[in-house]
Amino acid sequence: MSDDIRGLTARLAEEPSSLAFLELGEALRRRGQLEAAYKVARGGLSRYPDLADAHDLLAHILGDQGDLAGAFDAWVEALRVDPMRTSALKGIGFLYFRAGDVAAAREHLQRAADIDPDDAAITQALARMSEAGRARASASPAGQGIPVVAPQEAAAEASGDNTDHGLLLVDGNGLRLSGHLRSGSLGDVGDRVAAELAGVSKEASRTTRLLGLGTWQTIAVESPEANLFLLAPTPDTVLLTIRETSLPMARLGLIAERAARDARAWLGHQE
Amino acid sequence: MSPANAALVRVTQVPGVRGSLLISATDGLVVAERLMDGIDGRAVAALAASLVQRLSRAAIGAGMRIPTFVHLRGNEGSVLAAPGQNDLVLVALTGLDANLGLARLEMLDAVGRLN
Amino acid sequence: MRALEPWVVEPLQTFLAESSARLILLMTTSGQVVAQHGFARSFEVMTAAALGSAIVASTEELARLMGAPRFGAVVHGGSRLSCMLAAFGTPRGRWIGLVVFGPETSIGLVQLFFDRMVEELVGAAPRQAAAPPIRAENFERELNASLKELFGR
Repeated sequence: MSDDIRGLTARLAEEPSSLAFLELGEALRRRGQLEAAYKVARGGLSRYPDLADAHDLLAHILGDQGDLAGAFDAWVEALRVDPMRTSALKGIGFLYFRAGDVAAAREHLQRAADIDPDDAAITQALARMSEAGRARASASPAGQGIPVVAPQEAAAEASGDNTDHGLLLVDGNGLRLSGHLRSGSLGDVGDRVAAELAGVSKEASRTTRLLGLGTWQTIAVESPEANLFLLAPTPDTVLLTIRETSLPMARLGLIAERAARDARAWLGHQE
Repeated sequence: MSPANAALVRVTQVPGVRGSLLISATDGLVVAERLMDGIDGRAVAALAASLVQRLSRAAIGAGMRIPTFVHLRGNEGSVLAAPGQNDLVLVALTGLDANLGLARLEMLDAVGRLN
Repeated sequence: MRALEPWVVEPLQTFLAESSARLILLMTTSGQVVAQHGFARSFEVMTAAALGSAIVASTEELARLMGAPRFGAVVHGGSRLSCMLAAFGTPRGRWIGLVVFGPETSIGLVQLFFDRMVEELVGAAPRQAAAPPIRAENFERELNASLKELFGR
């Protein structure tokens, strides 16, 4: 054990409520002792659940462990606590880039650049995004003009922080938990649709079970006006995402999956 | 071969499709079917129709017209449904290995011809 | 829900939950009511049981005259309410189910889960000899006796 780690461990043992866990976790991570780093970060988070630094540390550790979904969730948490946190925006941007969603990656990095224009790493990363975006667009002309829906917007909608329409989180009794749905002529139709969605999860579950199709995962619905995507963030809730038909269904599915992840986190915080 | 049976033949020829049915949306009853052994057509008809009806109500509630295609995905397979005119719905049951894109295209085309 | 025999309750409750039917009446072909859900008054049950068993008897006789096998079910479709009558065999003799349902469900779902309920009832029924056929003159007495037990009056 190196001296710095030994010293930090002793400090933390002496004063468990100190913020030394941040340094210790990071030191362990840098030495590749990921399991130990993870335990330290978790321990710190249990004391400081609203400390963005702690979520950021955990995200880095999870990312090093290969748990990218976990890292994503941890950075989302960090942003929830501190929306200006550029390291979380960069981390999420990196994950989107790695997943092939250049548009979402660029959007996160741009937000980080707006907050910290002097960060050269962000500027360089944005330049790479632009190159990748151009390459992708030239390889796939059909992809041009597709409306980009930022996943963090979807996440914000799921947590009720965004007035954009097209996302609705509904409980098992057909009541709206969060989100909005707007129809041009009818205005906000969220409550009406929520009521209709009551029991959808149960019905889908019954259908797949009785037809030998296992557990239901998603429902994709195409209509002349829009595409709808349903999934269950938790056993008692249904998340409906609606986007225009020009957005490919598979991509709508990705947006919905991300929104579901955020909805799960949000629901966890409500308990 | 009747147009209904022709539609079912086309859909069941898609790799991974275990069977297809033409059902009545309101009643949830089988109109015509072409299924692999062991698949309960009555259950498919009743359950798929109920799901399509519920989703149609949700779509209408959101100010849209009734769906043109529905895909319920389970972790061991899928139900695909293409509502058509005259209360008919073309339904297919697929395994995990199915070519869902091709099945969707064939179903939309087949139900368009039925209309 | 009211039931004369406890083993009937679970299959019946499952059926009601899955099918979304509004009313159900289970009776023997002799008119003895086995269980009911949704009927408020014994008079309604009495009338429904008498009419239901008469309709099933009529259609079965019609099938016999035509040389056809027994009809599976009789369905009356309505815009607001629909009704299904079906007779089925159990270890306790031949029974009749009368189901009333609205537009919130479908005849497909009702039939699907009715058949599953029948399977469950057959599986759950205690094995003992079926009651002998009841003579017409005893029908009303049997019916009234079961109603008294079901409604406690």
